[in-house]
Amino acid sequence: MTQLYRKKRIEIIVEAARARAIIEMIEAVGAKGYTIVPNVSGKGNRGIRDEAHLSDVFRNVMIIVVAAEEIVRRIVEQSQPLLENYAGIVVVSDVEVIRDEHF
Amino acid sequence: MDTLLQLAIGNLLSPMVLFFALGVTAGWLKSDLAIPEAISKGLSLYLMLAIGFKGGVELASNGVAGAVAVALVLALALSFCLPLLAYALLRAATRLDIPNAAAVAAHYGSVSIVTFVAATGFLGYRAIPYEGYVVAMLALMETPAIVTGLLLARRSNAAGPTASRAPFLSREVAREVFLSGGVVLLGGSFAIGWITGDKGMAVMAPAIVDPFKAVLAVFLLDMGLLVGRRLHDFRAVGWPVVAFGLYMPLIGAMIGLLAAHAIGLSLGGMTLVAVLAASASYIVVPAAMRLSLPQANPAIYIPLSLAVTFPFNLIVGIPLYYAGAQWLVAL
Repeated sequence: MTQLYRKKRIEIIVEAARARAIIEMIEAVGAKGYTIVPNVSGKGNRGIRDEAHLSDVFRNVMIIVVAAEEIVRRIVEQSQPLLENYAGIVVVSDVEVIRDEHF
Repeated sequence: MDTLLQLAIGNLLSPMVLFFALGVTAGWLKSDLAIPEAISKGLSLYLMLAIGFKGGVELASNGVAGAVAVALVLALALSFCLPLLAYALLRAATRLDIPNAAAVAAHYGSVSIVTFVAATGFLGYRAIPYEGYVVAMLALMETPAIVTGLLLARRSNAAGPTASRAPFLSREVAREVFLSGGVVLLGGSFAIGWITGDKGMAVMAPAIVDPFKAVLAVFLLDMGLLVGRRLHDFRAVGWPVVAFGLYMPLIGAMIGLLAAHAIGLSLGGMTLVAVLAASASYIVVPAAMRLSLPQANPAIYIPLSLAVTFPFNLIVGIPLYYAGAQWLVAL
């Protein structure tokens, strides 16, 4: 049976304008990679957020990182100030992965 | 010379405005009519290419260096200064706080390329020529207002907790503003039109002259859909601010007309400068404001420029500014 390794998965849904800053932070704290879902829509405390094709202002993206607990904790802490004044949702969960060396 | 009423009705019954109205109605009623995003992007690129190229060709055949330089300086001055006026009005007449008033002010100093293109369509319908370098004025007016808006916001909130954190005109904002696809294509086509002149026009004309008005009508259908979907956002904006979205273009147009008259532009050129001074950005400036002034609420400035000022200029403003220009020319 394939061996599974415990990791943390952090999902950040953030408005497109702020995605670059978040990604730079994720790389700076030492995560080895991330996944971006470029268009996500939904409703939250800023009303309906949907892609509007004139500009990115009402567009959200989802950034997913799977990493060791220590790194995910740093991402959580450092995302707080970056999200001030921006639409953002941060969710952390426990996951198991194969190929430990990728994370 | 047409009367104002004839102009207004003529404009109202043009395919451009009727397609726009169709879009607004469909969007407002939540129809599933939609122009695929890739096509609408393509249409807007086409319009920028066509308008830039025509402006460049026009400049190559009729350009007078002195007049061009004066016009470009005027464009910069308008874009830098209009936000100061807009900010003063907003602070006096509405309850917007400093960051929101500064953000809205930046939108009104900058320009709407679509409104400008629609105005060239209006002039084309009547076979009124205009100076090609007005297109260069359009390109120059997009950004200075952003600087003024950010200075207005910064001047008064140095004590705020987030003030120092966001760098003023960061590299990211500069790229967003100066290298936005629209600006690059508009400026690039203008240069290509200017270099290739009438010979270039002979090559491009089948694609960019005759189909232009029809493409514009389709694009305005798409703009109408966007506006119609945003009509529900009005309540968040508040009536004093909505009123600003209607009187600010009139004030801007008046200043634009007088300034264009003073530097000796033709009837068509004056109309277009009035449209530039009257219009408000809803693509480049919102993107820049989200990056540099996140405290300001996009649910105020986007509906205001997109769903109030843009339709107002398209339906009422353009024929009105044209009538004003006719009046000034006849003086």
